[in-house]
Amino acid sequence: MTAVLSLRNLVKVYPSGTRAIDDVSLDIHRGEFVVLIGLSGSGKSSLLRCINRLIEPTAGQVIFDGVDVTRARGADLRRIRRRIGMIFQQFNLVRRASVVSNTLAGRLGYRSSWRTIASRPSPEDIAAAFENLGRVGIADKAFARADALSGGQQQRVGIARALMQRPELMLADEPVASLDPATSHSVMKYLEEINKKDGITVVCSLHFLSLARRYGTRVVALKAGRVAFDGRPEEIDERRFKEIYGEDAIEVEIGPERSVPQPMSATEAALIAMAEDTGHGPPPEIR
Amino acid sequence: MAEYFTARGLPVPRELRQNPLTDWRRLTLIAAALIVFVIGLRVTNLDLSRANPEYSAQLLRQLFQWDLTILTPRNDFETFWDTAEGLMVVTIFLGIIATVFSVVVALPLSFLGARNIMSGNRVTAAVYVFIRLLFTVVRSIDVLIVVIVSAVLLGIGNAAGVIGLAFHNVGVLGKLYSEAIEGIDPGPLEAITATGANRFQVIWTAVLPQIVNPYISFTIYRLDTNVRLAPILGLVGGGGIGILLFQSINLLQYGAAGLIIFMIVITVAAMDFASAQIRRRLV
Repeated sequence: MTAVLSLRNLVKVYPSGTRAIDDVSLDIHRGEFVVLIGLSGSGKSSLLRCINRLIEPTAGQVIFDGVDVTRARGADLRRIRRRIGMIFQQFNLVRRASVVSNTLAGRLGYRSSWRTIASRPSPEDIAAAFENLGRVGIADKAFARADALSGGQQQRVGIARALMQRPELMLADEPVASLDPATSHSVMKYLEEINKKDGITVVCSLHFLSLARRYGTRVVALKAGRVAFDGRPEEIDERRFKEIYGEDAIEVEIGPERSVPQPMSATEAALIAMAEDTGHGPPPEIR
Repeated sequence: MAEYFTARGLPVPRELRQNPLTDWRRLTLIAAALIVFVIGLRVTNLDLSRANPEYSAQLLRQLFQWDLTILTPRNDFETFWDTAEGLMVVTIFLGIIATVFSVVVALPLSFLGARNIMSGNRVTAAVYVFIRLLFTVVRSIDVLIVVIVSAVLLGIGNAAGVIGLAFHNVGVLGKLYSEAIEGIDPGPLEAITATGANRFQVIWTAVLPQIVNPYISFTIYRLDTNVRLAPILGLVGGGGIGILLFQSINLLQYGAAGLIIFMIVITVAAMDFASAQIRRRLV
């Protein structure tokens, strides 16, 4: 197995002096589903963002498919970035734009500035957009505004947008942290599918160890910017767990896949909970 | 309540320690405000003794005895554009043209004045500081002062008014536009950057959709303000109906002045209503 992504002694120190990543070296192989776990602030987000240089690493190297990402500049960097898809905790869609134009944005790395303004997307790109939206099950929402969708649906648009890049590597920064348990599983399953069917390597940070065990082929735990554990998910026992999360931590389970009957966004769930709580009927619509 | 804290040896919160009515800080502030007011009265020396109530009443009556002859050409040399309503139309367009000029300048500059776009490296950060400083300086010079200066530079007339109005407005719109950019959700920028898009594509795809509405809203707001300001530009040499108003007052033609003031009130009220309607429908 060849390493598709290698991190060599990666360090990220923020101007405030925080050492977010402290000498991390990792080899990630083609086809792996790597789950990053660790407490908030342990460096998961920083690590993912250093890989495609959304933030600049302070020292060390990121090598993607034999190319040194850390040294790439301008157009070279953008050519690397377009081979690396990324999805985000807050989905990061352009909220006022339609679902399909958000999806088409995934092709920007393949278009010139001039064509971005002056011409419509090519028929191939549009066909690909609908195909990818179909894969994540929301082709019928293609012309809805992105902010009209529920959280789970927005994250699926995020996946479709990333797939438009025809990526070889998918970075996922807490993709389900804003979603309820049932929706989390549906989003994780799409990630699992692109990992297994398309052979796209996935590096995904997660909060819940149960999700990491269920979907990861490998778990990397970060603690204060250092790798505290690197191995198969089932190797994480009580002792290791406490090493990663601290002595006082207790493992909480995210509900099993069947526990909630229908997908519901976190907001919907909260609104229903509020309505039941107060006994004053459903709350007014938020607009 | 305070006993709860003293009984447990805890510091008593300030809210419980003081009676708001006897709080010396509050009383000092009120006293200071009163002192400033009294000093101000002495310094400005407001003097109403020279006012003549009879003359004022007569004058006020004259303001409402409208001189309708200013609504039609008064001799063979005058055209529609010399009548009061013609000048009113010119004045409205002074405001509109000044807004257009200032939008054309402020729009590109606003991107250079947005911290989140320019914080990339040291050079762009310096440009950002310079542009925002420029906006502040330009904005701090009041329209009337700019028009006085530009009337000297360009000669009395419409050009001086438009340039003066536009100049000040670049500062205001530039700041409003830049702040609209700074207020956008940074998430989409990050996501579009991650797709391999270049800087221009990121701005085009992730920034523009987020700022269209605030920009339109701010532009209409300033258009409204500029049309409201335009009638007084004539007082300092900026053209438009203000010149006629200034002349009528100097020539003691209060009937004409009253009619012009009425026309300005109607125009401004109509503009106010229209811009509120448009803005409400947009945002």
